[in-house]
Formats: sequence, C-alpha cells, structure tokens
Amino acid sequence: MIKLENIEKYYANKGLKNYILRHVTTTINAGEFVSIMGPSGAGKSTLLNIIGMLEEPTYGLYEFMGENITQLNERKRIELYRNHIGFVFQAYHLIDEMTVAENIEAPLLYKKVGSAERKSRVADMLDRFNIVGKKDLFPNQLSGGQQQLVGIARAVVAQPAIILADEPTGNLQSAQALQIMELFQTLNKTENMTIIQVTHSEANAAYGSRILNLQDGLIIK
Amino acid sequence: MFKLNFRIALRNLWKNKGFTLINVGGLAIGLASCMLLLLYVAYEWGYDKQYSNYKTTYMVYNNQAANGKIFSFAATPGLMAETAKDEIPGIKEAVRFDYPSDRLLTYKRNSFKKSSSFSDPAIFKIFDFKVLKGNQSTFLKNPNAVVLTETLAKALFGNEDPINKVVKFDNQEELIVEGVIEDLPKNSSIRFDFLMPWSLYGKINPWSLQAGWNSNFCMTLIQLQDNSFFEQANSKLHGIIKANNKDSNGEPFLHPLAKYHLYNTFEGGKSVGGRIEQLQILFLLAFCILLIACVNFMNLSTARSEKRGKEVGVRKAIGSSRADLIGQFMMESILLSLLSMLLAFALIEVCLPYFNNLLGVELAINYTQWQFWTMLVGLAVLTGLLAGSYPAFYLSSFDPIKVLKGFSVAGGSSLSVRKFLVVFQFVFATCLIICTAVIYQQLNYIKNKSVGYSTKNLIEIPIQGVLNQPEKYALLKDKLLKSGVVADVTNFSAAITQGGNNGYGIEWPGKDIKSNVLVNFRSTGYDFIKTTGMKLSAGRDFSMQHADSANVMINQALAKIMGMKHPVGSVIKWGGTPVTIIGVIEDYVEESPYKYSSPMIVTHTDGSNAVALVRVAATANLSTAVDVIDQIVKEINPDYPVDRHFVDDSFADKLKNERLLGTLSNWFGGFAVFISCLGLLGLALYMAEQRKKEISIRKVLGASSANILVLLNKDFVKLVLIANLIAFPLGYIIINKWLSSYDFRVGISIIPFAIAFLLSLFIAVLTVSVQSAKVAKANPIDALKYE
Ligand SMILES: Nc1ncnc2c1ncn2[C@@H]1O[C@H](COP(=O)(O)OP(=O)(O)OP(=O)(O)O)[C@@H](O)[C@H]1O
Ligand SMILES: [Mg+2]
Repeated sequence: MIKLENIEKYYANKGLKNYILRHVTTTINAGEFVSIMGPSGAGKSTLLNIIGMLEEPTYGLYEFMGENITQLNERKRIELYRNHIGFVFQAYHLIDEMTVAENIEAPLLYKKVGSAERKSRVADMLDRFNIVGKKDLFPNQLSGGQQQLVGIARAVVAQPAIILADEPTGNLQSAQALQIMELFQTLNKTENMTIIQVTHSEANAAYGSRILNLQDGLIIK
Repeated sequence: MFKLNFRIALRNLWKNKGFTLINVGGLAIGLASCMLLLLYVAYEWGYDKQYSNYKTTYMVYNNQAANGKIFSFAATPGLMAETAKDEIPGIKEAVRFDYPSDRLLTYKRNSFKKSSSFSDPAIFKIFDFKVLKGNQSTFLKNPNAVVLTETLAKALFGNEDPINKVVKFDNQEELIVEGVIEDLPKNSSIRFDFLMPWSLYGKINPWSLQAGWNSNFCMTLIQLQDNSFFEQANSKLHGIIKANNKDSNGEPFLHPLAKYHLYNTFEGGKSVGGRIEQLQILFLLAFCILLIACVNFMNLSTARSEKRGKEVGVRKAIGSSRADLIGQFMMESILLSLLSMLLAFALIEVCLPYFNNLLGVELAINYTQWQFWTMLVGLAVLTGLLAGSYPAFYLSSFDPIKVLKGFSVAGGSSLSVRKFLVVFQFVFATCLIICTAVIYQQLNYIKNKSVGYSTKNLIEIPIQGVLNQPEKYALLKDKLLKSGVVADVTNFSAAITQGGNNGYGIEWPGKDIKSNVLVNFRSTGYDFIKTTGMKLSAGRDFSMQHADSANVMINQALAKIMGMKHPVGSVIKWGGTPVTIIGVIEDYVEESPYKYSSPMIVTHTDGSNAVALVRVAATANLSTAVDVIDQIVKEINPDYPVDRHFVDDSFADKLKNERLLGTLSNWFGGFAVFISCLGLLGLALYMAEQRKKEISIRKVLGASSANILVLLNKDFVKLVLIANLIAFPLGYIIINKWLSSYDFRVGISIIPFAIAFLLSLFIAVLTVSVQSAKVAKANPIDALKYE
C-alpha cells in the first residue's frame, strides 16, 4: 500500500543542508498497524506528514496505492487524500466553531457525500464512540479525551484506507490512552484499516504489529 | 459544505460582535456614501434624458466675438427658428422658447406667481410631455391659450375641470386653459409651470415683432430628423445670422440638449465641460470611499488571520482544497457585504430627506425597478469580492503543517500589505481634509470679499402691474420714504445680482474699429449710489440738480478698456448718440462673485424700470420695516404679490454650488476619515494582540503604561506621516486645479495642510491609544501565564 524509497528531507539553513530524514526506505502493507518510535527531533512527525501528503519530501520516491505521489498534481493528490487518508493529531485540532457533529461531518462534505448518507454515518460514529449526548457541544466544552475521540471519529467517518496518528495519546491520561489504543486495535482488526501511529510509549507501540525505529532521520530497525 | 460554512459564518459573526460591528459598520457607511453619491450622479446625469427624442434635440447657442474673446450663450434672434426650419434640410422641428420667469396667473380668488414661458406648438412634438387633459394637437395654436402643469392646475382649480376655463394672465390677458400636462421632472432644463403661445408673446412685447437678426432675445430649440444631418445642419446654421444681417457677428451652433446641463462652460466658442467635472469628482469620490471601506475590511479580516489560521490548517488536513477555502472566505465576505448593504439602506433612507433638502434635488430609491436591484446586488457582490479577495487568497494559502505545528503564520509580508493599505486610506482621507479646508477657505473668502456695495438691509422689489405707471411708482417711492423705516429708494433696469441687457455700439475716441466690446447696459433713477452704497471713484451720481438725459455713468472696467485715465467729462458715443460721462462707479459684483466685473454703462431714466431697490433705515427694526414696506406695496399694487427679497439672500444663492461642494466634501470626507479610523483600529487591535507578550515582558522589566503607549503609537504615527507626505502634493495639485477656474480665489496657504496633518495625526493617535491603553494597563501576568 505504501512504498517509500530513499526518502530525504532537509531544510537549507544558510546554505547548510539540515537533514531531517535520510534514505528512508520501507513498505507498509494494507492492514498493518505500524508504530513509529524514536527520540524527540528524530523526524517522526515529518515522516508521518510525508506519508499523509501534508509535506513533500525533498528527494525520493513515494508510492501510495500504486500511484507515484511525487509526480501527482495537486487536484489528484487532494482526491487521493480525501478518499483514503484520515489524520489524528496530538492536539486534536478540532474546529472550534463547529459542534461535535459538525466536526465529524466536515470531511464527508469535502468528499461530497450525499446528505442522507452523511447523517447516517455521523449518527453511526456518535453511537460507536459513545458521544451521542455531546453532539451539539463545542470542542471547548469537552475533555481532552473526549476531544480526541471526536478527532478519531472525524478521521474514521470518511472510511479511509489508512489512519495516521501523531502521538494521539500524548496529551491524555493513561486510562484514556488505553481506550484510544483499543479503539485503534478494533479498527485495525475488524475493519482492516491500516494504521500508522507515532508514539513515545512502548505500551502503545505494543498494540501495533510492527515498530519503525527512527533515529536522526534513519530507520534503525 | 456551503450550508455548514454559512452556519459557521453566522456563528462567527455573532461570536465576534465587536469585530462584526466595526466591519459591517464601516462597510455600511462606505456603501451608503457610495450609493448616495451615485444616486446624485445618476440624477444629474439623467438631466433632460427623460424625453424620448433627446438624442436628436439641440439647443442653439450663439457665439459672439467681443473684447478679444468669444462669448457663447443660448440666446438667438426670434427669426431663427422659422428660417432654419425652412432653409436647412434635416431639421424636423424648430421652436422659440422664452426664458422662463415668474408671472401671475389668476382664477377667481386663486392667484399664483409661477414660472412661465412662451413657445411654439411644435414644442409638444420635440418633448413628449405627458398630456393629462386636453388635445395636444391644438395646444398653443390659439393666441389666448395656456397649458398648465398638474400642480398648478390643482392649485388654481382644485377639483374642478380646468379645460376651457378662463384664467387671467398678469392681470391683463384672459387665457383659455387648453390642457394640463404632468409636472416636469426636476432634472429637466426646460421647466415651467404654465406655457403660453408665442403669438401672445408678440402681443405683449410688440417690439419683438419688429426685432431683427441682431436682437438675441429667446432660445431656439431644434430637433433633427436624425443625427446624420448634424454636420450639415450645424454648418448651415453657422452662417444664418450673418447671411441675414451683415453687421451682426453672431455664429450660432447646435449644442445637444443632453449636454445642456452638464457641459455648460464654453471657451473660444467650444464646449469645454462645466458641471460634468464636478460630477466626475463625485463619481470618483463615490468609488474611493467604497474602496477605502473595502480596504478596511481586508485589514480587519487579515488581522484575524492568527485565529483563522488554525481552522485553515485543520480544514486542509481533513481534505479541503484551496479552492474550497477561497470559496468559504468569499462567501463570508459577501455575506458581510450583504449585511452591510441592508444597514446601508437603513442609513440612506434616514439620510435622503436631509440630503435632498441640502442639495435641492429629489433623489429617491426606486424599489420597483429591476435595474435598481441588479445594481444593488451587483454592488454588494462586487464589494464582497473586492473586500474578500485578499483575505481569501491570503488565508487559504496557509501551509497546514506550519499552522498545526503552531508556528506563527502572520508573516512580515501580510503586515506590510496591511501597512500599505492603511497608508493608502490615510492618503485619501488627508487629501479630502485638505480639499475640504480649501473649499471652505474659498467660500469664506468670497463671502467676505467686498461686493462693492452694501447688500445688508437692501431690499429688491420687482416693479410690476400698476407700478409700471410712473406716477404710481413715484407714489410708492414717496410713501416708502415717508414711512420712516426706509432711508433711500432707487430703481434699476435689472435685478442687481443678475445679468441683464448687453450689447456693442459703444464708441470712444481712439477705439480700434475692428474690436467689439460687449458692454452691460443698465439704467437707474436718482439716488442709485446713495441707496446701494456703491462708491464713485470719480464724478457724481445722477441728480435732480442736473439735466442728465445725455449723461452716463460707467464702471471702472469700462474705463480701463477705453484706456481713459480721467473719463469724467469725456464724450463717448452709444449707438451713434454722443453721451457724456459724469461718474465712474467702482467695480461691484454683477453676476458671479468669482468673476471679474464686466464693463458697464448706466443711463438715467425717469420712467419705469425692472426693480425698485429699497434701503431700510439703519435705525429701523428690520421685521417691522419689512411689514411696513409690504403693506405700502400691497396698497398701491393690490393685484400682485409683493415678492420682496433681500439682496444678501440672492447673494447667498450664488454661493450655493460651492457651499454644496463644501458640504459634500465635508460629509463624505468625514465618512472617509471615520472609516479609515476603523481600519486603523483594526490594525491596532491586531498589533496589540501580537505584541501582548512583548509588552508584558517589558512591563515586568519596569516599563510604565506611558512608555508602552509611546511604543505602540510610534509605528502608527510613522504610517500617518508617510501618508501625509504623499497626500500633500496630491492634495495641492487637485485643489489648485479646482481653484484655477475662479478669477477671485484664495492663495493656497499652509493652513489646510497643517489642519490635515494635525487632524490625521490626532485621530490616529486617539484611535490607537484607545486600543493600546487597554493592553498597556493590563496585568502582565495574564498574558504570560498562557505561554
Ligand atoms: N520548518 C522547519 N524548518 C527547519 N527545521 C525544521 C522544520 N520543521 C521541523 N524541523 C526540524 O526537523 C526535525 C524533526 O522534527 P519532527 O517534528 O519530525 O521531530 P519529531 O521526531 O516528531 O519530534 P517530537 O518527538 O519532539 O515530536 C527537528 O529537529 C525540527 O527542528
Ligand atoms: Mg513530533
């Protein structure tokens, strides 16, 4: 599903190349649950963003579902992105002005899903994540864990092929973190969703089927 | 998506009420100003275009070379209309039209002095006046006929049917009402309340039946078959006067009716603009105000970029394309501009009566016209697009990763764009302040400039009805003088503040035979100088001690043209008859207070004249004096309204146009300044927000609130200074051009610039300080805690 070959990323600073990723080569198959680990500043988020098409590599080949992303035009890339990728952030990043239900609905609108279908899917998500009672609240009226549930619901609702999560439990207590990890596991197991998460916690990483260890921009293992 | 975004947009507007208020308010004022000005421009632009044949209708102008210049005026011989129609191919209709003046019309006890004119029947073919009653094909053919406008018919007859009723004209002629037409639109140059046949004009003014080709006493209106005949007809018309009278130097030409009102200035015999220039300025002003309101909007919207940035990032991360975001922001700004439009309408409806009153026009919003609604929606959408484009493109360009990582997105570039916009606003506002100040200076200068006589407590009464009999006039004068409230009385052959007869025919020793000198002809009774308070630079006034029938007074302007150092006692010829100069009057303001006086010659008359001039005694109480005078006039001439007016009121009328411009630029300049301040406030809000942390740290380090205020104000003061630097030369050029059309004008001094400088600076510092004071006073810990 995902094929990375010699991915490099650097920022030029006063003529000096400041490498963040070097020769990253790996393949991730559909249905895998991969955890990316490594010390702070190793380039984990950068790698995840590149996989998520939010950032472009400076060099290298990236194939997503058989398409060469580095050569794709903007429109096609957004199309691919809308249909197959769901993002979950450490800081939740819900839209403050939208209610819970609206936040979950938003990606469907961009995907131009019909209204009836939208309603049923949103209802389904609210139900599944046990937040029906909160659907008309605004993000600032929710706890961090609840916000992250909404964040995941928003990522899942569009039925993506892959979920990318950057330290999804970084701001949460361990009990809540546990709930989120179990959720990921269920999604991975029952719906065969591919999941890639960045984490600092060995415990969280253990939920995954594989660990990518990143150090100074290099995959160690 | 649209529905959700729309909902969120409304939610956002409600949540940020202050921001919404500033934004919608600024835009609404801008839109209201713009639309008000556009309404006025449309009104002026629509002058004379109500008539379906206006494109083929022409006013005949007459070029006459005199005093080394060419004078152009809409006055022609009475013979022209018929001759032109007979001799020039392509002319469909040609009619005479008398200059409208107020005359008395009576039915039973109802008596009104209303604007009236005389014309030929074909005028109803040239203008499609809407006939309400009567048979149009017979109008004005019978010499004892009159056509009324609706309002006058109502006033005279009430609910009676006016047709075939007999009314009395000027207390002497009995006229039959032939028809009633709809009132003429206010923006029509051809205006009257009742219209009479030209044959009646001939009966009342027998001299006109004999008047030849050198007597220009009426307007001629010509309608062509179509405009392909224009060149030919115009060139044929050119020689028509000279062909019939070799001594005349009149060269008539066709001036389109549609241009009669707006293109009313002629130089060298050609149309060179006129009112249209003022209209262009107002048109430009309308869009500039809208533009600065839009700039405001951009400023405020981008200033909120920090807050919206995260939303942009997240939306992009959940699959929004840039186009989606641009659409969203555009929708928001169009929503705002529609809201502002609603508010603008409320503002306009509130202001219109005042505005109409101020300008003496009849503007109204015609809600039933589809053009109006398209224009309205068009303007709102255009404003929304214009105002929303920059924020939309700027905000949608945010890189989601940078935003989500929490990097500050408001780069230096957006700030400098905003600074540029503020400078732009202030250049405009400062220019307006300069122009307004100079316009007022000019007005004041003209108002305070000596008129050449004393206009205060000088009353002018038209001599009409029985007062035309010399013995009745003598009785009036006698009674007035004996009443105790009147100091002096004289008469004059034209309203003292208006034009009158003029002509050539003045010759003096040493005159260049080829040159034509156009001279104003006036006549007066005794005590002219004493009554008016004019000054004689030499010689004496007419007096009973002398036989003055062959004596004249001249003004200094004529003395100068004749090149006479000591004119008193010189003999000159007027129409071949020798006359002796007995006095030289210092130049006084004849018609336009902005123009040099024209040469003038004044004879003495014992008989009747156009107006009586009455000087109220200095000791008299003005209101009782007026009552006494009215009563005396009414007693002697009971059939006519007294119709007295103060000369200084007539003078005030002459300043109307400039006062109007002054008022307009004052109001709209004020709006522009206000809107600019809102823009500045927005920027200040943003800057204060941005520098909250820096300010807090400075305070912790010991800076006082005053230090902080200075710090925050410094940047804005710099912007305003730059704006002033740009505005000064710009304002100078504009106002210099405006002033150059006046003979008498104020010198451009440093004062308007100083006013503009201080005012813009003061306003800017005030606006910024109001906002910054809050930040400067705030507890530093609040800001730092959240880091
Ligand atoms: N726009 C940028 N310009 C320059 N350097 C950058 C930029 N963005 C990221 N970096 C650098 O790239 C490196 C990798 O950053 P990244 O966010 O991928 O680290 P990370 O592994 O996710 O760390 P953490 O565990 O702390 O989140 C860091 O050293 C960071 O300083
Ligand atoms: Mg990271």
